[in-house]
Amino acid sequence: MTGADHDHERFAAAFHRGAEDASAALATWLDRPVTLVVERFVSLPIVAALAALGSGEEPICGCAMRITGAVSGVLLLAAADRAGLALAETLLERPEGSCTSWGELERSAVIETANIVGCAYLNAICAALGPERADGILPSPPIFLRDYPEPVMEAALLEQPTAADTVLLAQTGFVIDGASFRCGLVFVPDAASLAALVNDGVEPGPRP
Amino acid sequence: MTAPAAGSPASPPPDSIPIGEIGVAQGCGVLRMLVGSCVALVLHAAHHRACGVAHVMLPASTGRRTSPGKYADTAVAETLRLLQEVTQDPDVSCTAKLVGGAAMFAFRGGVPIGEQNVTAIERILGERGIEIVGRDCGGGHGRRVIVDVATGAVTVATAEHGTQTL
Repeated sequence: MTGADHDHERFAAAFHRGAEDASAALATWLDRPVTLVVERFVSLPIVAALAALGSGEEPICGCAMRITGAVSGVLLLAAADRAGLALAETLLERPEGSCTSWGELERSAVIETANIVGCAYLNAICAALGPERADGILPSPPIFLRDYPEPVMEAALLEQPTAADTVLLAQTGFVIDGASFRCGLVFVPDAASLAALVNDGVEPGPRP
Repeated sequence: MTAPAAGSPASPPPDSIPIGEIGVAQGCGVLRMLVGSCVALVLHAAHHRACGVAHVMLPASTGRRTSPGKYADTAVAETLRLLQEVTQDPDVSCTAKLVGGAAMFAFRGGVPIGEQNVTAIERILGERGIEIVGRDCGGGHGRRVIVDVATGAVTVATAEHGTQTL
């Protein structure tokens, strides 16, 4: 194993811990089993990364959070439109199939989910970074999105202050109460934070 | 007839133009792409029933020589060159349409990258005397772009803001 592989592995371990903590936080909030699993942790050329949320012409729904500080980037939680509405039904305790469009309540439910998942994820990353660097990480309030998947990813990539040709993605499967939902959680770090994390190394730390 | 996309001379380009690439076609068919902050630069040579389409990602190449379709300053020149090539007309006359340049997240202060892309392309087209005859730019949403090669008609569809033809 090369040094780069080792750094990559340690960075990935921090995201696996983040997925575990986000699962626990969301399960507590919803009072039902929730599992987030990091399915892919890869460096991809930009063209390939654009398909991380899907490549079709059907809109997706989800939320974006801007992360600043020791780790900077964009955290995206996204799902197919129907899966997102089904999530909203569950969160709002409405009958299956009753949510058919994105009103204020449905959007709020998904935004709150993104807030809980995103912050749990970031807390785990903070723990991995160590106390001297973790204080500086700050998430923005989530922004609700309903749009085509590729422009959403494109905007997340171009939000980074870099013209790098490759990006690093942590793509996470998201299952609530069995196989009811499939969502994707994608973290797109900017080039500077990625370099800092890889150079400094990240260890899965104690739980926050 | 369809000319090779920049950077991949041996393979025929797909209808869909990937980020940072250029597609050129003549006669019939469509060219398509999805854009958010990026800009679809469409050059239409009506006399030749030909179009060149660039999926522009950033405003300036700052000296980079690779991926000319990726940057506004190199994309205009390269798309025009490919259009000259496919029409076999070194003096090809064309008009332009621009789509995209959205600020989908608006997390940051300053001028959004999408707006920078549009501004850079408009300036370069102006310097070359290429008239912009249609535009659907800005806003906070992605756009599906379908270009009719023969007519130069550009159909712009969105997830939540309807469809229009430029």
